[in-house]
Amino acid sequence: MLLEYGAESRLIEQISSRLGVALGCTSIQISLIPSAIVLTTLIGDASVTTTRRAQEQPINLSIVHQIVTMCIAAEQNPRNIMMVEQALCNIHANPYPSWVLIPIIGLSCAAFSHLQGADWIGFGITFLAASGGMLVRKELSHRNYSLLIVFAFTAFVCTLIASLAFYDNLSHSGHIVLSSSVLLLVPGLPYINSMLDAFKGYISMGWGRWTQATLLTLMSSLGIVLAMGLLGLKGW
Amino acid sequence: MMVWVTLLLDAMWAAIPAVGFGMIFNVPRSALPLCALGGALTYALRELLLHGNFSLVLSTFIAATTIGIIGVFWSRRYVMPRPVYTVPSIIPMIPGTYAYEMMISLVRMNTEGVTDALLSSFIENGLHAVSILFAIAFGLVLPSMYYTKRKQPII
Repeated sequence: MLLEYGAESRLIEQISSRLGVALGCTSIQISLIPSAIVLTTLIGDASVTTTRRAQEQPINLSIVHQIVTMCIAAEQNPRNIMMVEQALCNIHANPYPSWVLIPIIGLSCAAFSHLQGADWIGFGITFLAASGGMLVRKELSHRNYSLLIVFAFTAFVCTLIASLAFYDNLSHSGHIVLSSSVLLLVPGLPYINSMLDAFKGYISMGWGRWTQATLLTLMSSLGIVLAMGLLGLKGW
Repeated sequence: MMVWVTLLLDAMWAAIPAVGFGMIFNVPRSALPLCALGGALTYALRELLLHGNFSLVLSTFIAATTIGIIGVFWSRRYVMPRPVYTVPSIIPMIPGTYAYEMMISLVRMNTEGVTDALLSSFIENGLHAVSILFAIAFGLVLPSMYYTKRKQPII
């Protein structure tokens, strides 16, 4: 039950207890901290406690979806542990191929820049910068670097490419280009998840995720500041 | 008439980031069109409310609540957890620029010394970012708070 692929805490708790009931346990108690799950299962009179450590994984909502589907299937025909185990084995990451992912991220950041009023040259430069950044991010996380370093370095590359806009006054909206090309690094899901957790009564999980998201933002702005300092640009 | 055309165009531009970030989060393929629709819908609604002289935070809150309620219906119909729809849809509204500017002014305060301009930019951007984020999160939470009252899971 390693449900740490970016699901929110309430979902994790509900799913585990529903799955436990479906498999014939009397009750399930669970306690969450940001890096581990403690799970106590009560079967008849005996109780079993397990602790699982959760590794840092990239966000993957499709795995969350598959687990929820499996849980509903298990509720419909209870006490069938073979089926659940088979379904757990069948969960696969199913990532999108990178030749689709990179252009579409470039396009989405370019769309952000267009929404904020950049001109068409700025649009093109943002597209280039965000695609380059995404390429770097994919390559680095492929090689198992820490997420913080990946974010800082990606922001650095993005800012370097985006500052092309200032070269020879190529685009009249350089500041917009600069700010929207790093938008692919905004840790939106951790922020939203932390808020949702805190609202639903998991204060410590909320704080843990909030701190993680803030650290990611800080690291990427460090990358931006480094690149701007190298090129001698002033301000946004 | 012209206003409506620009609104539609902007909504279409906002649908692209929703799909793109949905792909980063590995949303199942069948949910991608709905994410695009949600992103366009929330952005258009927010622009409309901003046009009607609502404040930025209030209109963000209303748009987030709308997508939260819609997400409940969609997740029932297609048997998926709600974040699959709601989170990519609100991505175009995330205050990323504010958060970055806050952090950058923090770093510059360290290197160049504290000045009034940097301090006010830090506080202003930080307040903007946090309040918009708060509005989004509260809007998304409202529907599920209603349903937890009934002690029954949504899907």
